[in-house]
Parts: sequence; C-alpha cells; structure tokens
Amino acid sequence: MPAGTVTALGHVSIRIEAGDYVAISGPSGCGKSTLLHLLGCVDRPSGGSLVFEGRDVAGLTESERSRIRLTRIGFVFQRFFLLPMLTAWENVELPQSEAGVPKGDRRARTRELLDYVGLAERSGHRPSQLSGGEMQRVAIARALANRPPLLLADEPTGELDETTGEQIADLFDRVHEGGTAIVVVTHNPVVAARAGRRLAMKGGRVVDA
Amino acid sequence: MIAFTVVTFVAAFLAAAALPAVTADARPDLPAVLVSRQLAAHAGLRTGDTVTLALDATGSGAMRFRVGGAYEPTPDPMRFTARRLEARMHLPDLNAITASPSDPGSVESVKAVNVRLADPNDAAAFASALAARAPGIFARPTARTRDGPDPFVVLERFHLAVATVTVLGSTAFLLALMTMRAEERRETVGIIRLIGVSQRSILMGVLVEGLLIATSGAVFGILVAVAAQGAINRFFQWRYDTALVFVRVTMSIALRSIMLSVPLGIVAGLVGAWTLLRRDLPALIRR
Repeated sequence: MPAGTVTALGHVSIRIEAGDYVAISGPSGCGKSTLLHLLGCVDRPSGGSLVFEGRDVAGLTESERSRIRLTRIGFVFQRFFLLPMLTAWENVELPQSEAGVPKGDRRARTRELLDYVGLAERSGHRPSQLSGGEMQRVAIARALANRPPLLLADEPTGELDETTGEQIADLFDRVHEGGTAIVVVTHNPVVAARAGRRLAMKGGRVVDA
Repeated sequence: MIAFTVVTFVAAFLAAAALPAVTADARPDLPAVLVSRQLAAHAGLRTGDTVTLALDATGSGAMRFRVGGAYEPTPDPMRFTARRLEARMHLPDLNAITASPSDPGSVESVKAVNVRLADPNDAAAFASALAARAPGIFARPTARTRDGPDPFVVLERFHLAVATVTVLGSTAFLLALMTMRAEERRETVGIIRLIGVSQRSILMGVLVEGLLIATSGAVFGILVAVAAQGAINRFFQWRYDTALVFVRVTMSIALRSIMLSVPLGIVAGLVGAWTLLRRDLPALIRR
C-alpha cells in the first residue's frame, strides 16, 4: 500500500531577525527538525515561501543553497556530525577551505576558534579521541568557521550530561553575544531558558510564540 | 638471401637417446656434434666425450662423434611436453649417418631442414618459390603470422573470452562494492553536503580518490602479475624441462590493464558517489 502524504509543517510563519536567540521546543515528531532543515536550506518547502536575506530559498539551485549553508548558516547537531577521519583542526578548517579562504587566514581563524571553544590543545585529535562535550565544541567551532550570521542547533545537548550541556549553553550565550543569531531546537529547559524567544510546536504548527 | 644454419635431424637424436654409447677417451679427429642440454643431462655427456649415434636402437648406421658442446633447444610451444633429446651435426655427417646401403639416393635426402632467412618477411615468397622449384617439399614459416593460419588462434580466442568474462564480472563486482562502500559513507557525504561543500567538489574528490585507488590497484595488479609470471614460468620450465616462456607480462599488456582498470575504477567510484549525491540531503543525515 503506498504511503500517504504527511504534512510535517503547516501554517508556520516565523521571522528570525539578526541577533535573535530563538528556542523551539515540542514533542517528538511535531516538526521541529523539519522546520530547522527548512531554515537551514537543507530541505525545500513544498508550499509557501522561505526567504533568507531577501532571497526566496525555494527558487534557488542546490549549488546556491550549498553556498548559503557554507557561508551564511552554521549547523550544530545532537550527534555532532564531525568527520571521523579528520582532526578537530581539519574539521574546523574544511568549510573555510571550501569557501576559498586563503591558507594564512584559515590557519588564524581555526586557531582562534579552537581557542574560543577551549580546545586549542586538542586540535590534533580525531573525534574518536574526544569526549562528547569536546566534540560538540569542535562542531560549534566548525559551525562558526565562515562567520555565519545564523547558527542553527538541533538538540545540541541531547547526548551530553547536565554539566556539559550547561557548558555548551554557556558557549551559545557567548556566540549570541558576539552578534550571531541562534535558533535552537531543544528539549532542555536550561538551554531554552537562555533564549530571548521561545516557540512551542505541536502537530506541525507553532502553538505558542 | 638464405642463410644455411644447422641441421636438426630428429631421427638421429632420438636414436642417440636410445643408444647413449659413451666412451671417455677424447678423440679430436672425430666429427663434432652438439647435444641438447636435456640429452647431455640425460646421458651424462660433457664436452669432449665420445658418443656413438645411430638411426635406431639396433645401431643402424652407427657413427662416432665427439661432443663439441651443449645447446639449449629453441623452445617450441607445439612440443613443449616432448623431451628434447636432440643432437645437431653438420650436413655431411647427417648424410653419412642416414645413408642406406640399399638406397643409393638416401644420402641425398633429409626429412626436415630448418632454414633461417636473412629477412623473415620473405618466408611466404621463399615457400612459394621452393614449392615451385621442388614439388613435394613443403615449407612453412615457424614464426607466427597474423595474416596466415595461426595454430594458437583458438587458444587466443579462448583467452580473450576468459578475459572478457573476467573484466565484466570484475566490473559488476566493483560496482556493487563501490555502491556498498558509498552506502557506508552515507553519513559522511551527508555531513559534507550539510556544511555546504558543493556536489561538484564532492564529485571531484571522488574522482581523485578513484583515480588514485584505480591507479594503485592497477600497478599492484601488474606487480602481482610480474611476480606470478616468474613463479609460473619457473614451475612449468621445471615441470617440462624447457626454456619455453609460458607467461610474459609485456609493457603492452601492462598499459592495456591500466587503460582498462583506471577508467573502470573512476566510473565505479563516480557511480557510487552519485547514488548518494542524487538523494535529498535530509535522507543522508537521518538516523
């Protein structure tokens, strides 16, 4: 029997301004991650419009959306999504390399970011040699590599203990203070409490803004 | 045009094998004969030994000769299983040993003569001229010709069929392997795409990786073939006591292998990568 159409999101209208800090929460399957994927140009909406920095994302090619993800949006995920064969340094350097940043600038920015997240001395380690909290900090450093104005995080503390989760939340605060807009999907009330705006979702709709 | 070399008289050396009469006293006045390496080993002959050769084991037309040396018989793929117990002698000696008292014309006949031409390309013309001048004498080139009948053509077609099936099978296996390998890298490709690395960059990376792996694989395969070539040749040369070269990895074969395997490896890599790149990004990073 063919699978029917599932409407993951409907009648969702949100606006993220520069420098915002937005937390999205809700039960599993309510469409939080789908919304984050749409905001991050990972997926395309089947209807409606999604405008990023004045451009309708639905009309962009895969190459153009890749470019936006590379230079304008940073991603942090629950499972870190670091490349296992690369060191922390190389993981942070990769997006800059793809963006064509000159080698000297890349090195300086990578050193600055690893220092920023407190992992300068672990730069030569691979993800398998790092703890969960360290991996997430490397992921944040990578997400900030090309100085994106928007950082998207999907359950960034989901696989971390409470103390480490708070350290990551502290780090997000610092990133936000630096002027980066943050949208974080989280079940963690500690993380959600740090956000300036909190959105609740249910059944593919924003029910409380 | 024709350079006469040495006569190989098959009957004589077969008889010699049956009649290895050897005496130790060196007789420099005896006619010299060359014996094959195999015959020298078989009969324990050394240079300077005296041997008696005859047409058959009963000693018909027996003559004594001085062993002038040993030679390595020209390898012949048509007779590589035969024991090369042979001797080479000068034509007058051959005539003398084959002479039949009841047939005065026997001294004028031989069964086979090897002739080396100054220009091997004249073989066909030489054979035609010889047939015209001396009906009943059949001449054929021993060198293989591409435009004439080739005794190995069936074997060569069989090898080609085996090679074709091997390449097709390997290609299917390689494609399946690369597709599985690509599936293993699903999340990695998803992460790379997620952080904004373009599909073009990923394909280029896969292309370079495929090129390196395919080239390394081809070189490794050639090295294995070269090493196996030595082992195979040594085994069969030992097994059949011959200098025949059974396997030879030529530069042409090596280049053909590279020209075949490198594009195949690259294509297999690209096919594997494309199975991931054509998918939606969320499908790649979904648990």
